[in-house]
Amino acid sequence: MKKNKFRSNKALSRREMLTGMAGLGALSMVPPAFAQAAQAAAAQAAANGKVLVILELSGGNDGLNTVVPHGDDAYYRQRPNIGIPKNELRVIDDHFGFNPGMAGFERLYKDGKMAIVHGCGYENPSYSHFTSMAYWHTAAPNSGNEYGWVGKLADEIAPSAPPNYLVNIAARQSLAVRSAKHVPVVFDDPNRFMREAFAAEKDALNAVPEIGESENSSRSFLLDIARSANDASALVRDAWTKYDSPIDYGVNDLDLQKVVALLDAGMPTGLYYVAYRNNAFDTHVFQNNLHRRLLTYTSDAVAGFIQDLERIGRADDVALMIFSEFGRRVPENVSLGTDHGAANAMFVVGNQVKGGHYGELPSLTELAEGDNLAYTTDFRKVYQSMTQGWLGHSDSNKLLGGNFGTFDLFS
Amino acid sequence: MLRALKFMAAASALAVALTSPSVLAQQDDLAPIANGDWNYETAAHLLERAGFGGTPAQIEALAALSPREAVTSLVHYDSSNNAHLLPFEHSGIHEPGLEPFPPSRPATTELAKQTGEALGVRVKPEGNRRLQPVVNKFFYWLRASVLETNRVAYWWADRMVASNNPLQEKMALFWHGHYAINESKVRDYRKLLNELELFHEMGTGSFRDLMVAVAQDPAMLSFLDAGVNVKGAPNENFAREIMELFTMGVGNYSETDIREAARAFTGWNYVDTDFVVNEQQHDDGMKTFLGHNGNFDGIEIIDLIMEQPVTAEYISSKIYRFFVREELSPALGKELGTILRDADYDVATLLETLFLSKDFYSTPSMGSQIKSPVQLAVSTYRKLGLKDAPGVPDFNRATGALSQSLFRPPTVAGWAGGRSWMTPGLLLERGNFARDVLFPDINFIPPDRINGSAEIRSVADRIRQGQDITSATQPSSMNEGGIMAESNMLADRDEEFNTRYGSFRGWQMAIERVKPIPRHTARINLSEMILEQNIETTDEAVSYLLARFMRVQPGSETRSMLIDFLSQDLGTSNIVDAQSYMEDSLRLVLHLIMSQPEYQLS
Repeated sequence: MKKNKFRSNKALSRREMLTGMAGLGALSMVPPAFAQAAQAAAAQAAANGKVLVILELSGGNDGLNTVVPHGDDAYYRQRPNIGIPKNELRVIDDHFGFNPGMAGFERLYKDGKMAIVHGCGYENPSYSHFTSMAYWHTAAPNSGNEYGWVGKLADEIAPSAPPNYLVNIAARQSLAVRSAKHVPVVFDDPNRFMREAFAAEKDALNAVPEIGESENSSRSFLLDIARSANDASALVRDAWTKYDSPIDYGVNDLDLQKVVALLDAGMPTGLYYVAYRNNAFDTHVFQNNLHRRLLTYTSDAVAGFIQDLERIGRADDVALMIFSEFGRRVPENVSLGTDHGAANAMFVVGNQVKGGHYGELPSLTELAEGDNLAYTTDFRKVYQSMTQGWLGHSDSNKLLGGNFGTFDLFS
Repeated sequence: MLRALKFMAAASALAVALTSPSVLAQQDDLAPIANGDWNYETAAHLLERAGFGGTPAQIEALAALSPREAVTSLVHYDSSNNAHLLPFEHSGIHEPGLEPFPPSRPATTELAKQTGEALGVRVKPEGNRRLQPVVNKFFYWLRASVLETNRVAYWWADRMVASNNPLQEKMALFWHGHYAINESKVRDYRKLLNELELFHEMGTGSFRDLMVAVAQDPAMLSFLDAGVNVKGAPNENFAREIMELFTMGVGNYSETDIREAARAFTGWNYVDTDFVVNEQQHDDGMKTFLGHNGNFDGIEIIDLIMEQPVTAEYISSKIYRFFVREELSPALGKELGTILRDADYDVATLLETLFLSKDFYSTPSMGSQIKSPVQLAVSTYRKLGLKDAPGVPDFNRATGALSQSLFRPPTVAGWAGGRSWMTPGLLLERGNFARDVLFPDINFIPPDRINGSAEIRSVADRIRQGQDITSATQPSSMNEGGIMAESNMLADRDEEFNTRYGSFRGWQMAIERVKPIPRHTARINLSEMILEQNIETTDEAVSYLLARFMRVQPGSETRSMLIDFLSQDLGTSNIVDAQSYMEDSLRLVLHLIMSQPEYQLS
C-alpha cells in the first residue's frame, strides 16, 4: 500500500519518502539502501532537509552581456560593437533582457523560479582569476583561509560529519569545499572514480580495507577515507549506471545530471559543488558567438536540471546558486571582447525561489577604477542568504567573516 | 622456522622496525630521549620527518650514531656534502627590455601606444596590427616564465631526492608553504628562484633575519603589491599579511597597528630583481605600533613584532605542526615559543630540541603524519634508491594532481596540510601515482613541449594551413559542436593587435627557448633488491618490502593478501625459483603496497 502511495505521488517530499522507506524497512527485509537512507535522514536533519547546489562559471562571465540592460543607452555607448541590440534579446522587462542564447533562463525567470542578484562583488577587487576565485572560494576577499566556505559550512551545519555529505564533481578538489571535518567526495567521471589497476591487481586493490582498531588516529582516518573511496565510488558508479533521464540538458550538462543521479539514489549529500570548467568564460576576443554558446549550454543545463528535479520529485528541496569570480569591464576591448572586470550578477534558481531582481545594477556611467562596475552587493550577502535563508543555518557571521544581511529569496 | 631465522638475521635491523619501544617516550616532554632508546625505528622516524625518509642503509647509518649526533648531522648540516648538486641551469629567456614587466596585457598595449615601445619592442610604424609584436612579447614572457618555473620546481625536486642535507630542503618546503607565493601573480621565475635560494640559505637560521629578508624580497614585494604602498596612500595588504600570516596570527594586533605598520613599509619596492627603498615615497612620520611610538621603518616594525611572545609561539607552533604532529596544547606552544625567543629566534635550536625530545618519539607523534604530495613523491623516490626525480611521470603534474604544486600554493595562506591532503579521490590518485612510477606510461606526452590547450593547437594548425590571423583565431567550436558565424570568417580584420594570436606566438617562442625537462624513467630493480637480502619466500619478500617502504604496518589481512597475490602471480612461493622473471610481479605487489592507506603515513 505504501509502495503504491509513494509511486503515485512524484512530488512527495524527501522526508515523507524517508518515512515511507523506514516503514518498508521495518515490515520487510532491510534493503541495502536502508543504511544510506538513515544516513540521509541524519544529514538532512542537520541542514533543514534542504540541498544546496553551487555552480561556478570559471573564467569571469560577462554579466553585462548575460543580463543585458537594454534600457540604458550607456550600455550601447560602451559597447558599440559587442552590445546586443534589444530586438535580439530575450527581453524580460523594460530594462533587462537575457542574452539571445538563453531560452532556459528566460523560461525559468518568467516562471518565477530565478532570482537575479545584481552588482555582486567586493572591496578592492582582484583582476586575477586565481586570486579572485580564491576570495570567492574562501569568502575572504583580500585575505586567505585554508578552508573553503562550503567546507566550513558543512562543518558548521553537519558537525558530526556524516560520510558523503559534501560532493564536488571535478577533476581536482575545489578550495571551496576544503573542510576540517568532512571528507568531500571528489570525482569527475563516475565511470573512472576508481583505482587505475592492471587486470591482475583488481581484486587485491579493491579489497575493502580492514576496520582499524588502531590507536594511530591518522591511520584510522585514512582507513575511513579508503572505505569512503570504496563506498562512495561504488555508490556513485551505481547511481550513475541507474540514472536514465529523458530530460534534455543540451550539449554540456555541467555535471548537473550527476547531481540528480546522486539525489535520486539517496546519496546523503547536503552540499554539491560543480563548475563550468577550464576558465571557459574568459572571453577576451571575438566574444559574442562564443559567449552566446557558453550561455546557451549553461542555460540549457540549468533548465534541464530543474526539470529533472521535478521528475524525481525533489524540486522543492534543492536550490542552485550560480556565480563567477568576476565580471568583465564595461567598455569592450579592441578585439571585440572584454577584459577582466569586477562586479557581476549572481543567480539563484529553484522551485522555492522567489523570482525577480535583487540588489541594484551599478551605474554604467559612474564607473569604478579601471572602467569597472562598482559593486553594490557584497557577494557574501548572497552566501548568507543561502546559508541562513535556504539551509536554515542560524548564524553564519563567523563562517563568512561578518554580518552582510540576507535577501529574502525563498518562499 | 630455519628459513625465517635466516631472513631475520639477514635483515635484523629491519626487524627491529617492527617492534615498538617508543611507548616509553612521553608525549609533550621536551627532554631529550635516552641513548638507550635510540634504535633503527627512531632513526627511521627522524629521517622521515627531518628529511624525506631513506634506504635501510641510510637509516642504519643514523641508528649507529647517538641521538644527539644523529640530530646534529641533520640540523647542522655541512654544505660541502652537496658538491654533486649543480646550480639551476637557466634557459636564458629573460631580456633587459622586459623590465619593468607591466601588470597586464592592456597595460602593456597602453604603454606601447603612448611611448611607441614596450617590453623592448617598438610599435610598427605602418600597417595592420602595429602592436602585434609587443603583444607577442608579452605572452612570450608569461609562458616562458611558467615553463621555466616548472624547470625550477624540477630542479628543486631533484635536490630533495639527491641532497645529503635533506633537512635543508624540508625546511625550504616549510618556508615555501609559509611565505606562500604564487607564480601566477609574480610571473617571474627568477624572483621565485631567488626566494627559494633564500630559504635554502637562511631556512634554519634566525627567523627574524629571514622575515626581514623575505619582506625585502622582490618576489614577496611583487606578490603583496608593495609597489602601490606609498606615502599618503598606504596599502595595507603587505602589513596585514606580515602580521596575520607570517608572524603573530589573527587577533593579536589592531586595525590601527596594521595601518601604522603599512605607513612604515611605504616606499619599499623593487627594481627588476633588486630591493629598493624609494625615500620620496616613504612616510617617516611618527607611528604608534603595538603600544610603541617612533618614526619606525619596516625593519623596526619587524623587530617590534619579534618582541611579542605570541610571535615566537605562533611560528614555533607552526614548525611543530609541520615536523611533529597536527595537534599541540597551548602550554606546549608557549614552551616552544620560549625556547625560540631565548635562542634569539634561531630555528636550528628549536629543531634540535624538537628532534631530540621524548615528545617527538612518543606514540602520538610516530607514524601519524599524512605525507604531503611532494613528500610522498620524494620519499617514494628516496626509498627506491633513485638519484633524481624521474621525468616520467612529470613531477609537477603528479604532485599537482594530488593537490600540491610547487610555486603554486592555493592561496596566500599556503597549503592547509594534515588531513586536508586527503580525499577519497586523492587516495585513489596516490595509488595511481605509484603505478605511474613503477610502470611508466609508454604514451607519456611531455607537457613542457606539447601545448595542452586545444584552442592554442587549433590556432597553430590554422596558421600553418595559411589562414589569415582573423580566421585562424576565431574561437573554435572544438568539442562543442557549435556553429560559427560565417560572415566573420571572410576577411582579415583591421585591428591594432590580436590577443589570441599573441597567446599562440607566446607559447611557440617560449617552447622554443625554454630548455626541455629530461624525460628518463625511474631505473628500478626490485629483483636485485630482494635477492641481495637472501630472501627465499614470497612471505619474506613481502615482509621486506613492507618494512622498507612503510613506517606504519598494515593489518594481517592485508599482509596475507599481498603474500597470496605475489605467490599467485609468480606461480610459486619460492623466490629463488622465480628470480629470473619476478620483476613485474614485485612491482605489482609494490604498487599494491603503495596504494594502501598506511603508505600515506610518515
